[in-house]
Amino acid sequence: MSVQALRAGAFAVWMRNFWAWRRYYRSSLLLNFGEPITNLLALGLGLGAYVARMDGMSFFQFIAPGLLSVTAMNAVTFDAGFETYDKLNSNGVYQAMITSPLTVPQILAGEYLWEMCRSLLYGAIFFLFVAAFGLVHSWWALLLPVPLALTGILFTAPALWVAARARTHEQLFYYFTLVITPMFMISGVFFPVHTLPAALATFVRFLPLYHTVQLSRELLLGQIGLPVLINLLWLLGYALVLVWVPRRAFEQRLVA
Amino acid sequence: MSDVVVAQGLTKRYGALEAVKGISFTIPQGLCVGFLGPNGAGKSSTIRMISCLSPITSGTLTVFGEAAGISRSQIKARIGVVAQEDTLDPDLSLIENLLIYARYFGISPHRATGRAEELLAFMQLADRKRDQVRELSGGMRRRLVIARALMHRPELLILDEPTTGLDPQARLLVWESLRQLKGEGVTILLTTHYMEEASRLSDTALVIDHGRILAAGTPLDLIEREVGAEAMEIAQPQADDAALLDHLGAAVRRHDRQGELLVVYAANSGDLTARVAELAVRPRQLLIRPTHLEDVFLTLTGRGLRE
Repeated sequence: MSVQALRAGAFAVWMRNFWAWRRYYRSSLLLNFGEPITNLLALGLGLGAYVARMDGMSFFQFIAPGLLSVTAMNAVTFDAGFETYDKLNSNGVYQAMITSPLTVPQILAGEYLWEMCRSLLYGAIFFLFVAAFGLVHSWWALLLPVPLALTGILFTAPALWVAARARTHEQLFYYFTLVITPMFMISGVFFPVHTLPAALATFVRFLPLYHTVQLSRELLLGQIGLPVLINLLWLLGYALVLVWVPRRAFEQRLVA
Repeated sequence: MSDVVVAQGLTKRYGALEAVKGISFTIPQGLCVGFLGPNGAGKSSTIRMISCLSPITSGTLTVFGEAAGISRSQIKARIGVVAQEDTLDPDLSLIENLLIYARYFGISPHRATGRAEELLAFMQLADRKRDQVRELSGGMRRRLVIARALMHRPELLILDEPTTGLDPQARLLVWESLRQLKGEGVTILLTTHYMEEASRLSDTALVIDHGRILAAGTPLDLIEREVGAEAMEIAQPQADDAALLDHLGAAVRRHDRQGELLVVYAANSGDLTARVAELAVRPRQLLIRPTHLEDVFLTLTGRGLRE
């Protein structure tokens, strides 16, 4: 398939999601910000009052970029998980798409494009919030769209795969509670990873969220150096591998 | 006249299950072909392969002269599909459902808007166009699905049980619109459980069961060939069937037990009437009626429930 055809198809799928989102964006915004902003304020200001310094900065400052990454991750994970499950099982949205000239790669490309946009939008709003508290210290923060866009592939791909494989809604929750939540707790959002036992710290360095959190923190604070490049390469590598993951599961559901 | 669809030795297997067992048929341009068969007969598998939604296992299948396959977007662009399940987009309004579907086909928004208005009027849905799909009745949803399948002016329209669950009025409206489309030269492939629908709409009917084509022809041909023009329904205990059939002899071409009724299809209806008149004890109830496609269907596919 030509790149042009892929792009045209992806844009049509993106448009469908956008039209649907227009109908419920108020509740979507509310749901996606209630929790992370509560976390930021309660933990950053409340708990933060009892934490002297963390890696040379205030606790509030430390957790802000991590929560930004997590907000974006959750925004795409829950949307890609639940919406895709519904599009495959409760309504015929994908079935209708597949009877048109659209193919599975075009549909997936459209979902990635859409989730990238969601990640950017929800990340940007959270960023404004963080900026209002004076937690942005560098113009390098303008490059935050890079980890946010990558989030739209890194966490969309596994969620799409899980949604295509899940037989029930409950099975989606296994993924959220057994994979996403633990990753959120240990990936360096709330404390530096080097404080973990060595084996666990090594494991965490293989998680994609660890690298989006690190990269976001480095950009927000202007700590530009080799680690930025290493985090970026990890993320690009993950994205290149993960992007293919849902294809076969989708083909088994839509064109068997 | 050219053939829009040509299948030869077409087979579909899902693991150990062979859903379609080497069938061959053609769908000529401009005609309406009906696929008749019980649930699980292989109809849906066949139309999914024609729609390029399912890879073929073996045999050949060409649509518009090209080999069908799941990546054949150029074939899909010329086919309109009305699936058995409701595949409307529940998050969008009626008009948005049509416009977004046109996007999937790469139709420009300007052209799509005109076409959508035209089709909503054609399907008598124009006054509901801004409503949410979930507010529509079953008949309206069905009409909207058909309107959507026509957005890109398909040359082949494939309908999988288009009127299942509709009331008689809604069904008539769907039939009328299908006839009109046929008049415009659209080739139609239809699956249905309703024999009346098949007789009214299809030029050719294929009776399919257990993955094979049992009979094919115009509805009238099929009736003539399989059951003849007239049937006699006789209410009597099943135990008496053998004796009665023996007496009726060559006047009967085929017979069939339907619950408390014995249905005999006449080889020669005059002869049959005469022989019944000779009976010493007349059956409790006796009715001579014209045959219809349902007789063909039940005779060929049997009476056992499938699900």
